[in-house]
This record gives sequence, C-alpha cells and structure tokens, in this order.
Amino acid sequence: MGNWRSSAAYRIAFINFAAYSAGLALLGVIVFAAMHIAFGRQLDATVSDEARSLQDSYARGGDAELAKEIAEREAPSSSTNMLYAVFAPDGRRLYGSLLTSRPKLGLHPIWFRDPQEGPDEARAISIDLSPGERLVVAIDDDWLDDIEGLIVVIFSLAFAGSIVVGFGGALVLGSYLQRRIQSITSSAEAIVRGDIRRRMPVGPRGDEFDQLASTLNRMLDQIEGLLENLRQVSTDIAHDLRTPLARLRNSLERGMIGPGEPEELVADAIGQLDQVLSLFGAILRVAEVESGETKRFFGPVDLTAMLTDLAESFAPAFEDKGRTLLWSIEPDLEVDGDRELLAQAMVNLLENAQRHTPSDAIVRMSATSAGGTVFMQVADDGPGVPKGDLDRVTKRFARLETSRNTPGHGLGLSLVTAVAKLHGGRLDLRQLPQGLSATIQIPAGRVLRAPRNDHSEAGGQDQ
Amino acid sequence: MRVLVAEDDSDTAEFIRRGLCEFGHDILLAADGVEALHLLLTEEPDVSVLDRMLPRLDGVSVIRRARAAGMGSPMLLLTALGRIQDRVSGLEAGADDYLVKPFALSELAARVNALARRKPFRQQPTRLEHRDLVIDLLKRQVTRDGLPVTLQPREFRILEELVREEGKVVTRTMLLERVWNYHFDPQTNIVDTHISRLRSKLNEGNKVDLIETIRGVGYRMTANG
Repeated sequence: MGNWRSSAAYRIAFINFAAYSAGLALLGVIVFAAMHIAFGRQLDATVSDEARSLQDSYARGGDAELAKEIAEREAPSSSTNMLYAVFAPDGRRLYGSLLTSRPKLGLHPIWFRDPQEGPDEARAISIDLSPGERLVVAIDDDWLDDIEGLIVVIFSLAFAGSIVVGFGGALVLGSYLQRRIQSITSSAEAIVRGDIRRRMPVGPRGDEFDQLASTLNRMLDQIEGLLENLRQVSTDIAHDLRTPLARLRNSLERGMIGPGEPEELVADAIGQLDQVLSLFGAILRVAEVESGETKRFFGPVDLTAMLTDLAESFAPAFEDKGRTLLWSIEPDLEVDGDRELLAQAMVNLLENAQRHTPSDAIVRMSATSAGGTVFMQVADDGPGVPKGDLDRVTKRFARLETSRNTPGHGLGLSLVTAVAKLHGGRLDLRQLPQGLSATIQIPAGRVLRAPRNDHSEAGGQDQ
Repeated sequence: MRVLVAEDDSDTAEFIRRGLCEFGHDILLAADGVEALHLLLTEEPDVSVLDRMLPRLDGVSVIRRARAAGMGSPMLLLTALGRIQDRVSGLEAGADDYLVKPFALSELAARVNALARRKPFRQQPTRLEHRDLVIDLLKRQVTRDGLPVTLQPREFRILEELVREEGKVVTRTMLLERVWNYHFDPQTNIVDTHISRLRSKLNEGNKVDLIETIRGVGYRMTANG
C-alpha cells in the first residue's frame, strides 16, 4: 500500500471521502430539521382542529356540553392523547385535567405537570370561548421526541455504515490510483536502471493513464532513436578515426625502426593527423551550424556575386580533372544569411559532384528564384545515388558502400542540410534520368532590390 | 622582432616559442590574460599572439583593453576549432588576424611575419614591383619584362598578395581568406589551381619562375637572384 501520508493517490481518495461524508451529514441535518418542522405543524393542526371542534360544542351546549365532551375525551378508554383545560379570567381552572397555569392566546408550547412524569412540555393552543373562558388544548409531544430519537439513532447507524463503506472505497480508490501510477513509476525506474527497451504498460481502456503511458512510450521511442543515432555516430567517428590513426602509427613505427627519409615520414604522419583534424573540424562545424548560434552573423548576402565567384574559382579545378563546370546564375539574387556558410555548402555540393562522377562528367550549377524562394542547384550526369539511398546520404557519416574508398568524411551533405535548415530552407536531392541533382532551397532575402535595377554588381565580389 | 605569446597551456606555449625563435624572433611568454595585458603595455611587443581562452582575462578582452589603451601593434588571436563567433568577436575587438587551433607552425610564422610587415604598408602604394614584374594597382594591369600579362581578377589578387609580402611565405589559407574571403578550407585546392594558371601566364616564353612553392605551406615570390 506504500506510504500513506506522502501518497497523492490516497490524499485524493480521502479528500473525496471526507467531502462525501460531510455532504451526507449535512443531508441528515436537513432531513431531520424538515421532518421536525413538518411534525410540529402536524401537531399544531391537530390541536387547532380539536380546539375548533370543542368551540363548536361550547357554542351548541355551553359549559355543560363542553365539560361533557372533555370528560369523554379524557376518559382512559378514549383514543386521543390530548389534554384539555378551561380557565376562568382569574386563572382558575374550571374543568379539564391539564395541569398548567392560564396561558396566553395562540399557538405555542407550554409547560404542564404530568401526574406521572412531573413537569413536561407540550404543544398547545389557547382560544377564548367567551370573554370569561379560555380553552387550552394541548398535546404531549413525547412520542415525537421518541420518533426523532429513533430517527437520529437509525441515521447515525446508517452514517457510520456509509463512513465505513466510504473509507473502504477511499482505500480501494487510493490503492488503485497508486497502483496505476506505480506501474508507470516502476517502468520508468527500470529504464533509469538501464533497461532502455522497457515501455510503460498500456491498458485496454484508453483512459488518461493509458494515454499518458502511450505518450511516454512515444517519447521513449524517440529518445531511443536519438540515442541509437548518437551511438551510430560515435561508432562511425571511431571507425573513421581508426584508419588514419592506424596509418599514422605505422608511419611513426616505420620511422623508429626502419631506414627511410625521416622528413618524408613526418610529413606523412602530419598528413594523417590533418585528416583526423579535418574530421573533427567538420564534426564541430556541423554541430556549430546545427546549434543555430551562427544566426547572429546573418546579413544580406549577394548570392549572384558569391555564386559567380565560386563558379569561376572552381571551374579551373574541374577542368584540370577533365570535368566541365557550367553555370547559369540569375542576376540580383539576394538572401538574408551567412555568406561563408552558404559558400561552404555550395562548395560541398560541387566537391561531391566532382568526387562521385567519372572524369569526363559535366556538372551544372544554377541559381534561380521563384515565389520568394531561391534555388541553388548542382546537377551532375554521373551515376547518381541508388534508389532508396537518397534519404540516407544526408545523414551524418553516410557513405554508400560504393564510395567507402573515396576520400571525404561523409559529413559534407550533413553540413549542407544544416546550413539549409539554418537559413529556413532545405536540401532536396533528386535522381535525374542521368545523374543526381542537389538543390538548396532557402527563402529569398527580405531586402530584395528593385527588379531590373543594377546588373553591374554581379560578379564583382572579388575586387 | 619581439613577439608576445599568451597561451596558458605550457606545452603549446613552448611549441610556439621554439618555433618562432627559429624564425629569429624574441619571445615574451604570458600564461594568463592579466600578465599578457601587463606585458603588452609595458614591453610593447612588435606582434602579439593571444589565445582566445586565457585564465583571468580572455584573449578578446585583452585585445579590447590594449586597443583602448592605444596599443596599435598587430595582434593575432588563436581560436578553437568550430567557433565562428570567436573569430568575429576577436576581429570586432581589434584583432588583426586569427588562426584556428590546431595550426601548423609554418602557418603561424607566416602570419606573424605578415603582420609585422604590415605597418610600413599603411600608405597604400599604387604600384608594386618585383624584379621584372610591375603591377599597376590602379589600372589593374601587370607587365613582365615590359610585356603585358592578362590575368583573371582572382589571379591578379593572388599576385598582388604575393608581391606585397615579397620574400615572405604566403600560406594557402591566407590566400583563401584574403583573395576569396573564405574562412573554411575547401577540399579542392582552388588556390593551387589558380597559382598554376597564374604561373603559366607569368612564365610564358620560358621566363624564370617567380613564384616559389613552399611544400605543405604556401607560396613566396622568389628572392632576388
């Protein structure tokens, strides 16, 4: 049952129980009061009727008739339990057996002396039959007290019974709530202890607890996915580091034991290390871009100039390797962004195109804008990416089996995706009939220059 | 030349000290920012190399205070990998150059040399000369041995940088930063590609090669010979 005092489940159950009991008690009080008033009225009506009937007798036969009627009613054989008295104006009792002093007119309780029980209270009515004579009809309400006492006893018993039932109900409710919550808590604890596959039990009812449990389960699935991703990334980093580090170790060992140009060996070792450092640099760069911190450095970027510059700078490098870079860049393209990162993203796309195409490939770079979006595209006529791998290639360290042995650390497209996202856009990869196209789509700058305004700035970045 | 090196990691500091000593510099070492600022103001070094992360007072603050105190000598900020904001805040504070750690010693030495030589260049020349090479910065024309050489804008800028740093090594990253304004390193060696085109244009007609390649570091205009 757990700890009572600190259990919210029990607290809720007992607060509910206390409210229910208080309501029940209030109901009892109200019912009792209503009944008391109703019985009182009933008695008042009875004595009033009786007084009226005796008044009629008096009117018919005077004192003699009245005295006779009263005597008849007071006889032990009579079924009435009422008491009577007629008083003279001086307070003297003329007839009737009610032992009391002359009361005021009207309906009110009086005190009288019961021959057996002593002083007692009764409900009474006093009316004047004639200026001289006052009739008092009283009814002893002892029986009413008895009934009311009985009712109080019965009600108390019922109340006690319902307290017991309510208390039991509160215990059951409390333990039910606690059990439902406990099942979630213990699953969570199991997860904390390391059983990350564990999930919250989801009941068949679909109530709030089940909804909570299934929401938590979805959250856990997502966290597990992220963890899995993280694990994958760490494994990939370790894997990608192992090769250059092993080569580095070999170089150094060769330098220690064998003959050979020490300078060459050191240069070789530095080359291996640079590869490791460039991997780290790329990881940090992607992380930095993904964090969004660099957004502070956003400013208007003259895309036309930046891309033209890029194309002109890379075209000779393409040419040297036998490939052709063609470009068509719309004038007056401007975005709000980070020039460096956009340039680096496009460089990565160009380098990918260069790396994964045969040496006579034609690579086309284009930049256009339509409907407030700028499209920066690099398309090649190489083998492209096998169907089904398109989604995978933007993942960190994704390197398809076919390119395992080409240089590069598999972070190029991750960076492009991160840069596109940072600029509120995305990277779109598409398999062409022949080749692959990669398009960065980002919103055009808010500070678009007036169209057809000034073409002279295009291509002037490097001056 | 006296160079202040502010670096709290003693191994790195020693590495930089030895390396710069070999290039003939006098080194002042500071292990924290307060010491660095003190040395800057009292010893007035010719060039300062400051780490971004220094105990007691970080490198950017040292630069800012030194500049506020009227120190005009060139300062280079060393920043950690993947911290674009450090570069920007450093340049805003008044750093003249920055270098991302880890760096090659030759790169640092080249930059320290370049910074030290900046001062006399404050009055912008309109004409640069190197042996039989003449560069007209206003008309953006180049002649070699009196004959015009037609260069692409980027090739012209590379040549200008090399001749400005005549006799000193200009690294690939320095060229990337100054000519292309790229602060990242593309895998494709666009610098080498452009240098080779520049070289073939300059050397047309079997002339002596004026651009010397320093392997793994960068380029230099050949000394007079």
